Amino acid sequence: MSSQIVTDARSALIELRDVAKIYRKGREEVRALDGIGLAVAEKGMVAIVGPSGSGKSSLLHIIGAMDRPTRGEVIVAGEPLNARPEAGLTSFRRKTVGFVFQSFNLIPNLSALENVMLPMEFDGVAGDERRRRANRLLDRVGLAARLGHRPRELSGGEQQRVAIARALANNPPLILADEPTGNLDSRTGQMIYELLKEIAGERTVLVVTHAEGLAQMADRILHLKDGKLVADDPSQGLKKQPVDRPGTTGSA
Amino acid sequence: MNMLRFGVRNLFRNVPRLVVAALLIAFPFFLLLVMHAIGGAVERQTDKLKHNVDNALQLRARGSMGHVNMLGNDDILPQRVLNQVQGIEHVARVEPYLLAMTPTEGHNFAMIVGVNPGDTKRLESHGEAGNPKIIAGRDLTEADRGQRVAIIGQGFAKWAGITPGNLGQATLTLDLTRTHPVIFALTRPPATVKIVGIYASGYVFGDMQLFMPLDTFREIYDVPDGLSWLFATADAADHVPQVERQLRTLLGEAVDIVAPTSVAEFQRSATRAVVRLSNGGIVLAAALLVIVVFFVMLLAVRERAWEIGTFKALGASGGGIVTAFLAEAVALCGVGAMLGALLFSLWGGTLAQRVFGVGVAPFLPAQYRDALAGVLSLSSDLDPAAWGLLATVCLLAALAGSAWAARQIVRLSPMEAVRHE
Ligand SMILES: Nc1ncnc2c1ncn2[C@@H]1O[C@H](COP(=O)(O)OP(=O)(O)OP(=O)(O)O)[C@@H](O)[C@H]1O
Ligand SMILES: [Mg+2]
Repeated sequence: MSSQIVTDARSALIELRDVAKIYRKGREEVRALDGIGLAVAEKGMVAIVGPSGSGKSSLLHIIGAMDRPTRGEVIVAGEPLNARPEAGLTSFRRKTVGFVFQSFNLIPNLSALENVMLPMEFDGVAGDERRRRANRLLDRVGLAARLGHRPRELSGGEQQRVAIARALANNPPLILADEPTGNLDSRTGQMIYELLKEIAGERTVLVVTHAEGLAQMADRILHLKDGKLVADDPSQGLKKQPVDRPGTTGSA
Repeated sequence: MNMLRFGVRNLFRNVPRLVVAALLIAFPFFLLLVMHAIGGAVERQTDKLKHNVDNALQLRARGSMGHVNMLGNDDILPQRVLNQVQGIEHVARVEPYLLAMTPTEGHNFAMIVGVNPGDTKRLESHGEAGNPKIIAGRDLTEADRGQRVAIIGQGFAKWAGITPGNLGQATLTLDLTRTHPVIFALTRPPATVKIVGIYASGYVFGDMQLFMPLDTFREIYDVPDGLSWLFATADAADHVPQVERQLRTLLGEAVDIVAPTSVAEFQRSATRAVVRLSNGGIVLAAALLVIVVFFVMLLAVRERAWEIGTFKALGASGGGIVTAFLAEAVALCGVGAMLGALLFSLWGGTLAQRVFGVGVAPFLPAQYRDALAGVLSLSSDLDPAAWGLLATVCLLAALAGSAWAARQIVRLSPMEAVRHE
């Protein structure tokens, strides 16, 4: 039993085939993801919604190679992740994915600039180039004046903007954000979404959210329930991306 | 911001904890330096003894066992030997001695030695090597020649009730008529000498001696000429056999020529015991260090699991993160080592004496047990060897202590980044 989305996957950035994540504790079994099939196009913003425990975070972690699926195939940017050893997943996370966390996850004793430089450091980018790029990214998220500030000297919204700049550091084709506005007030959240939306013009942004209003800003909304993909809508009021052709929801 | 620098910076995230950890690490380093100082002092002592012995030959009247009481001149070298030996090629120094014994308690006795001020104070039955250290008052000087003054070993001083406190007024009266199963009485008036210094020799019997100027000795014991011992020091160790040959040709049957070897006994028993103990102490201190580093680093990994997860989620390799933590551990040990070195330079000397008395002395052969500490120059100077030891142990303990933490880091999942949410 698996829900599948029939999509033309040839031009997709992300492709999932019958992906399941099952947590076992003793004899108990939690099917966090249950037969997910999915294709996501290059560029554009995709919102993932669903009730608590429906598997949204699990899905994001598997796509971002933070976690491995129990079953199924995950192909991102043409590369099957299942085949990669741990070191391969590390370089995948470094080059292909940018994570934006609900709690920002900025390193507390590094300045905003240093936090943004980190992923480039891991990628072996030279010092001058690192600094130049980090400056530009922080400028882009409107924090040019706060380069030297430590995370605790920044507001929640500012911290999340630093985190977004950090996610963009190695110019990855994919940004994953798990409830990026969960710790922010609605006005600040709105600003973060606008920023993510802008970023989605040049790459794929996958964002998990509970806020229905924010989800409506996305080009496409994936509905999860009990680990299954139950609906896949282009959001109202926005025109579909050309490569993004969600099909019908059904059983395969 | 490279990972090494990041690691060192992490050290200063929690300053109170850094202080506590550095103190915990400073303590074993301090202990280590104390142990190193003790081992070093004993080895220096051995070297000094060896230095006194290696190039030297001892001349004694044939058949005299070296224990000479001034009775009849049979046991005594004729005075002319002094000039004869001085004339031999490659003899750099000649030191004449006169010896007598005086009873103390029961079957015990003390040695009375006449020497020229400035000559090596050789200690009967040990080393004939001698490296006594003045621990109170002063040494004999040229001005003391013929004067009724003496310096006394700390054991003899104790027996006679002489302390550093009463040294200014202290005298000792030698009753030459007293006898002992192996000491003959002399029909000489009692002689009182002023005690101007107390020395420590490093072993029990060495501390039961008294040194007075040779001329004073001659007067008190009425020995106008003759010698008990004569030490001839060659200008180089290589020349000793040659000097010995010439001595034999020149002096023939009249003298015994002995190459002193007692230093070997010291080296075998005392030095080895101390070096073994101090090395044991160093290993123990290093083990303590590893344990402290282990817990500090484990705590750091536990606390920063989400940070490590975040690093991994951002694409850091396990190796890079481990590098940062190792740098932090080495820096922490470095801070601890500096603190330990500081504490050592403040209190190391004093503590080394205590540690020696409490921790090392009980393991020494009986003749050194209570006496060796006094003669050692336990300094709180940090020699290059000490710095080298500090650096090596610092590095090794940091690496060994962080091994488990490093393993945890490598195994941590990037999912840790979201587990704290
Ligand atoms: N490490 C784990 N061990 C066991 N069960 C887990 C684990 N992680 C997630 N689960 C379970 O898997 C299911 C999906 O979890 P997931 O975190 O993906 O949900 P979610 O949609 O993100 O929920 P929320 O909106 O509350 O964040 C839940 O039932 C959860 O309890
Ligand atoms: Mg979630």
